[in-house]
Amino acid sequence: MPVTVGSNPRGMDALAALLAERFAGELTDVRVQEPDTVVVRCAPEKLKDAAARLKADPEVGYETLNWIAGVDQRTGIEAVYHVYSWKTNTWLQIHVDLSREQPEVDTVSDVWPAADWHEREAWDMVGIRFLGHPDLRRILLRDDFVGHPLRKDYVDLAENHPHV
Amino acid sequence: MYDHFETPEPDEAVKLALRRIEESTARGEGSDVAGLEFNEVVVNMGPQHPSTHGVLRLVVTLDGELVKDVIPVIGYLHRCKEKIAERRTYFQYIPILDRTEYVAGINCEWAYVLAVEKLAGIRPTRRAEFIRVITAELMRIASHLVAVGTFTADLSPLGTAMVFYMFRDREDVLDLMEELTGARMMFNYFRFGGVRYDLPDGWVEKCRDFVRTFPAKIREYEALVDDNAIFLQRTQGKGVITQQDVVDYGITGPNARASGIPLDLRRTRPYSVYPELDFDVCVEHHGDVFDRYRVRIREMRESLKIIEQCLDMLPRGPVQVGSLRAPYVITPPPGSCYVGQENPRGEFGTYIESDGSRYPYRLKYRDPCFCNLQLFPKLLSGNKIADAVAISGSIDLVLGGIDR
Amino acid sequence: MIDILLGILRAVLFVVIAYVVVFVAALVNIYFERRAMAFIGDRLGPNRTGPQGVLQSVADAFKMMGKEDFRPLAADPVLFTLAPVTVMIGAVAIQLVLPYTDGLLATDLNVGIIFLVAISSFTTLAILMGGWASRNKYSLVGALRAAAQMISYEIPMLLALLIVAMIVGSLRLDHVVAFQAHYEWIGFYAPFTFLMFYIASIAELNRGPFDLPESETELVAGYSTEYSGMRFGMFFLNEYAGLTIMSMVAVTLFFGGWMGPWNGAVSLWGVDLVGVFWFVLKSYVLVFLLVWVRFSIPRLQADQLMGFAWKILIPLGLANTLATAAIILWVPSWKWGLLVFGWVSFFAFVGLFDPLLKRRLRRERERQPVVSA
Repeated sequence: MPVTVGSNPRGMDALAALLAERFAGELTDVRVQEPDTVVVRCAPEKLKDAAARLKADPEVGYETLNWIAGVDQRTGIEAVYHVYSWKTNTWLQIHVDLSREQPEVDTVSDVWPAADWHEREAWDMVGIRFLGHPDLRRILLRDDFVGHPLRKDYVDLAENHPHV
Repeated sequence: MYDHFETPEPDEAVKLALRRIEESTARGEGSDVAGLEFNEVVVNMGPQHPSTHGVLRLVVTLDGELVKDVIPVIGYLHRCKEKIAERRTYFQYIPILDRTEYVAGINCEWAYVLAVEKLAGIRPTRRAEFIRVITAELMRIASHLVAVGTFTADLSPLGTAMVFYMFRDREDVLDLMEELTGARMMFNYFRFGGVRYDLPDGWVEKCRDFVRTFPAKIREYEALVDDNAIFLQRTQGKGVITQQDVVDYGITGPNARASGIPLDLRRTRPYSVYPELDFDVCVEHHGDVFDRYRVRIREMRESLKIIEQCLDMLPRGPVQVGSLRAPYVITPPPGSCYVGQENPRGEFGTYIESDGSRYPYRLKYRDPCFCNLQLFPKLLSGNKIADAVAISGSIDLVLGGIDR
Repeated sequence: MIDILLGILRAVLFVVIAYVVVFVAALVNIYFERRAMAFIGDRLGPNRTGPQGVLQSVADAFKMMGKEDFRPLAADPVLFTLAPVTVMIGAVAIQLVLPYTDGLLATDLNVGIIFLVAISSFTTLAILMGGWASRNKYSLVGALRAAAQMISYEIPMLLALLIVAMIVGSLRLDHVVAFQAHYEWIGFYAPFTFLMFYIASIAELNRGPFDLPESETELVAGYSTEYSGMRFGMFFLNEYAGLTIMSMVAVTLFFGGWMGPWNGAVSLWGVDLVGVFWFVLKSYVLVFLLVWVRFSIPRLQADQLMGFAWKILIPLGLANTLATAAIILWVPSWKWGLLVFGWVSFFAFVGLFDPLLKRRLRRERERQPVVSA
């Protein structure tokens, strides 16, 4: 079955309503961001199930993970997943709130293979630990780097840079 | 013989490659010719390798000439762009974007400017929109010239001739851009709500000249390689990206279109004045190295078509919203947004979170090359080294975008 | 007594000439190729050092000599040092059987053609030594590719030489030249044989499109990756001198060597200087061909390279040899027979090879699965 870029004739609000109804257990706080993105929240422990179901959904089918961003919200760490649905040509943004002390969430790299590197990047930059990730190494920074630089409380200490 | 030489401690990626060899040997998968313990060698391709086009490092496991496994190692060009955004105002941050995918800087600027405009609710003037499209398409041509030129240079010394033809013609584009923006690659040209300068006198005619003369040059490139049996033999059927790969790994741009998917954000998620313009989304159906090359060549023609239309439709009026100068300080309301834009390499986008201050709270890049590179282990494994080089050239990576 | 002394002097003289030819040819060829390549690539090329940049390669040579003599710690010290020295042997020794001109021939060896084949493999031996001794994986792969390539292309080359020997009826190179007096060049009798020899010699020289051993985009610099300074310079000089030497061999075998108009018009101590002129001129026409080919054809892949040698060149070469032998043996006016056969096979090969290959490629393309199905 060739992949094509579909369309969303039912409109964004109807799509958001459909998601809110079908994934009532997992996704909360469903809202539409014009023109073509649905923004939702998800609890970290439910993320993996939600991801698998979102991907497998026959009608919307969020099959491609576009990117993952880790954001330090001062009160906590937030992971943002941006996924794409080919069938409806719309985006879904899943915000997952994690605790600041122990930012841990299940990996989705077995659901969306693209998540592999994006999760590594989020671990590298803000220190979100993705449980069950096959190879959670640093990706952009060097192996012996200390700290996670995109945390708002990151302090760059000279003794952490022995090579400079 | 080699007792006096101490092998240095391998780094994480090499250790991983060695571990994978051990695992596959333990499973009895390693070919065992002549009773040798390991037939596979781990070779570091890069960061200073002639065919990685930058500082990409591939830890390659070789079995003879056969590539068994590839582990890309990136980050050698990391310049902390996302961290820099925390201490720069929205306006000050524009030049940084030119340096992400430096081959097509203006397209990256556009992605960022689009996102900020959406956050702050600014709409650029109509003339500025057309100028943006013209510059972006010019740079798309320049970028594809670099991509195809370096790719053919990977294949052979013939390419060294080809790459000079292409750089010669890219010079025409850069001259146009220089006259318009004052810079050849680091433009700093887009502004929130418009562009920095209006078109100088006579620029439109020069641009028309370019549009008129360039198709002959594209035909010249095609005549050089399209009909060459060795070139065909080395590119057809090699490095096939299936549609499942595109879906799984988020491949975008010409690489996705070569696999038969009409994914072009200019059409599927239209921005600016693209809906008013008439152009085709170039799609090929085999997904191999040759098709990716063909898509790029064909897209250059489509870009010319777009530029020509824009020059015809170019309205009069200001190129900047509001006052003559762009607003130096803008404070978008709190919130977040992501806008993707069709870069020459695929979907380039920026995710911006604003807390209502003058600085972006969090800025995150979605870089097409980063996502395309992720497919490398799957794409290169099982090919010959020579093929692997051709394939990696055809994917068209720019390390400035990958490492940020 | 005086005979022995003269003999030694003569030997020294010819070795000196051979080395001078190697170095001068290398310097000239480097400059020549860079300018020709620039011309093909629509550029200027080196044009600053001396008039039109002719001193560029001299400057490069001095630069290389001035560099640090560097050997990697892990390299095998003996072989690593020996390889750049050995690499010159082939290029120098071949010249000892080449008649530069009338009266300028080091030794009229009666097994000249066999000597040619035997000695030309020395370069590959040196490359293998250097690649192995460097203890670098790229070098090793490059060296092994060089060895594999040499083994494969030695055979078509040998077959081509065999035909020349059959036509001339002698293995002596001065006889080969003498046979080609009055413009009866073997290249005219056996153009297909020349084509085979030419392709094989490109492969022997490790040049594009057969430059796999040092394909810079795959193996950095192949066997010479770890070499720098003058050691690298020796490999480099040899490679470029090889262009001229191979062309000289080809001219001797196929294009009448030093023969040409006004032979003997200017001579010095019994050495025909006009012959030298023709010899060099013909050689440089072939050198330009080599450069041209390098920058117009994409590099082959290792398996395509082997396939081309074993599946196409060697069978065709064997058939060619048999046919030529039959013609010489049984056709009464065998020279005419060779002429007809040679040109027919030449045009058949040139005219059919590309269309047939393209047809196969087109068919493969049609069979290739479409990912969007």
